[in-house]
Amino acid sequence: MKRRAFIAAIIAVVALFVVVKGAEWFNTRLSYHPPTVEKSEWTPRQQEVQKEKAEAQAEAKKEAETKEPVYPEYRAFPVIGSRVAIWIAAQLHLLFAAFVLAVPLFALIIEFIGYRTGDKRYDDLAYEFCKLLSVSFSLTASFGAVLTFMLIILYPKFTSYLMTIFSPTFAPYLGLFFFEAFFLYTYYYGWGKFGKRVHLLLGLGLNLVGTSIMVIANAWVTFMMSPKGVSEKGALLSLHDAIHNYTWMPINIHRFIANIAFGGSVAAAYAAYQFLKAETDEERAHYDWMGYIGNFVAISALLPLPFAGYWLAKEIYGFSQSMGLTMMGGAFSWLFIIQAVLIGNLFLAANYYLWLGMGRIDGAERFRKYIKYLLIVITLCFMVWATPHSIIATVREVQEMGGAFHPILGFLGVMAAKNTAVNILILTTYVSFLLYRRGGKRPTVSWAHWGNRAEFLIFVLATLSVLFFGIYGYFVPAEVRIKLSVPQVASVLFTIISVTAIDIAMLRGAEKIGRTRWGQMPARSQYVLVFLAVSFTWLMGLMGYVRSGLRLHWHVYGILRDTSPDAFTPTLGFATKVVSVCVLIFFLFIGFIFWLAGLSGKENSHGKEEPAETAPPLEGGEQPALEGEIAP
Amino acid sequence: MKVPVTLRIVLLAVGATAFYTYVGQLVPQKRVMPPPPPKQIQKNVTPAQLADLGKEIVHGKGTCLNCHTIGEHVPNARFPDLANVDERAKQREKGFSDIDYFAQTLYEPDAYIVPGFSPGMPTINKPPIGLNDDEIRAVIAYLQSLGGKPTMTMQTPLRFGPEATKAANATGEQSAQPEAESSTPQAAPAAPAPGASTS
Repeated sequence: MKRRAFIAAIIAVVALFVVVKGAEWFNTRLSYHPPTVEKSEWTPRQQEVQKEKAEAQAEAKKEAETKEPVYPEYRAFPVIGSRVAIWIAAQLHLLFAAFVLAVPLFALIIEFIGYRTGDKRYDDLAYEFCKLLSVSFSLTASFGAVLTFMLIILYPKFTSYLMTIFSPTFAPYLGLFFFEAFFLYTYYYGWGKFGKRVHLLLGLGLNLVGTSIMVIANAWVTFMMSPKGVSEKGALLSLHDAIHNYTWMPINIHRFIANIAFGGSVAAAYAAYQFLKAETDEERAHYDWMGYIGNFVAISALLPLPFAGYWLAKEIYGFSQSMGLTMMGGAFSWLFIIQAVLIGNLFLAANYYLWLGMGRIDGAERFRKYIKYLLIVITLCFMVWATPHSIIATVREVQEMGGAFHPILGFLGVMAAKNTAVNILILTTYVSFLLYRRGGKRPTVSWAHWGNRAEFLIFVLATLSVLFFGIYGYFVPAEVRIKLSVPQVASVLFTIISVTAIDIAMLRGAEKIGRTRWGQMPARSQYVLVFLAVSFTWLMGLMGYVRSGLRLHWHVYGILRDTSPDAFTPTLGFATKVVSVCVLIFFLFIGFIFWLAGLSGKENSHGKEEPAETAPPLEGGEQPALEGEIAP
Repeated sequence: MKVPVTLRIVLLAVGATAFYTYVGQLVPQKRVMPPPPPKQIQKNVTPAQLADLGKEIVHGKGTCLNCHTIGEHVPNARFPDLANVDERAKQREKGFSDIDYFAQTLYEPDAYIVPGFSPGMPTINKPPIGLNDDEIRAVIAYLQSLGGKPTMTMQTPLRFGPEATKAANATGEQSAQPEAESSTPQAAPAAPAPGASTS
């Protein structure tokens, strides 16, 4: 096999050499010459025309030599305009970048679990996740190059300004990019060829370098949004401050977590695709497990994401109340209603997948009676979150209501109610996960009774705390109310951490009352995974738009004004169309990547399977090791 | 007929995307245009005309209503409601007329914070809002009209802003001159040091 590859490589090099040399030869032999007529055969008219032409050319040349060069501030992109062109290129670059940053992170964690437990299936699963990386990395770089060139061509003045400020960061950025390529390819191609510890170190290097790249790029983006370290006119005063601006760290954290959620969901969609295409029970079992883990990663990252969002929003308000109000109360306030629909769908779909998953766990039927209550709570929270602050109404309706705020619904449209709803939504999803996790087990520790009571008590206290601070928010001034989200978030985080700790300890050595029949999931569960991936991607596109759009008519907020024809902020309807186009293009490419990744496990043209690259099938219904951590 | 899995997934992706796009069309559609170039206001406009221009700025370029309301009763609003604001402005700070108070609020917004509210008002003559001095005069005239009668003209001296600073500097220079010259009438009262008006 290796010999054949070596011969093929030599043939390819020779063929390339022949093609280049052949082209050179043809070029010299058959170079194009326009048909010419000897000067002596020209008619007097032709001679005059030629003379005039030569004079005009000489004049034009003279004029060009004396003319001051013009450096345009903007150039137009045909048909769709410069802004939309940049928007699409940036969004695609970000989506692929998020994917190639996230997948190595959870691949490394899964590989580490496999290393610690000695269960090869985890190692194989991590490798299968990484199969999606290679092509994605190339596409990330390609879209990055497209974005850079388009910025230079379409927005030269702005790009030049940003380069003036951040030029010292470009060398480390490019250096890290080479390091990332080195780590990525050694991590991927070195699988099983290096010692396990060396390989894990390569994975760690890949993650550190990838995260560093993101952090540098975030400095450029956040500077545009919340500039610091420059004078009022934009001259650089401190590079450190320009990097460490108001929104830099919140964006770093928010993107880091969101990337994991997004990467997990796309990887789960890949597993779902393979599950639906699977021909054997073993394949279905394997991809069911893979989909479950991808979704587990996505939902685990989704739960703390709103908290990172709070921090980001707080810093935006800290930088500029005006920008904060534009976001939450001005031009973009209705965008958060669209976001509420998306988040509601994400939570509903994630819970639905867990509930369907309980169907494949013997013993989980005892928890089925609780599902309807969970569904009611999730639906109510969704409805509160999606309630707009002001109502679209006719003049008469506004008069009847006494303003744009509905006398009852108006109270649900404020942040006090929305914060409460999202915190309870998170708690409810966590309950779904706990029920799923306990499906086939019964704790055997002597203190199980008290453990259950403690968990229940923590949930009740957290819910009461969230509700109390939510209602209290209506009776205090704004400056106090803003701070109330902190105890709400703290009580939810405390619940998740403490209950997880109790549950892991309580289910250690638990009695198995049933087995998990991996692969015995209804097909609709897999479509739910695809739906989750599409929704996550769409949400990323939407939130990317609001982050960028908040600058309104500024390239760099308050420093460098956008004077191009695209300086206006488009309608939300238009923005959602562009987001949808980006999402569909992304899935077109990601579909290609899925197809390529799927090829590696298929039979080759000689009827032989490629070397074992996919995880060995899970034995009928057997759970993977490390129960209680990843596996339910 | 069995629909192939790939086609089903494509349809699901397109359907979900189309649904979210549809939701995007249901919300109010507002295109936010960049602010028009600064207004140069004629020197002989009446206070009422100035207030009309100010209203236009407050409702548009000034983006004031992103944060403030006028006569809408929002529970626990984050920023003061501007209905009848002139009545309050006259009594807000000792020794300040309503014009002084409005000028301070617009040029030095953190100098005085209304009790119960947090700082957050941007400096109006600086980016990103960046109104010029003429436009700020118009805004003050409009704010006077909310609960009072506008008296602001293009000649009314201001205690805050670049004009006041210039006047204060000129006064400082004059005071260093011989006594005979320092008795020249002042165009405007001296601007207090930044923050001096707080309390």
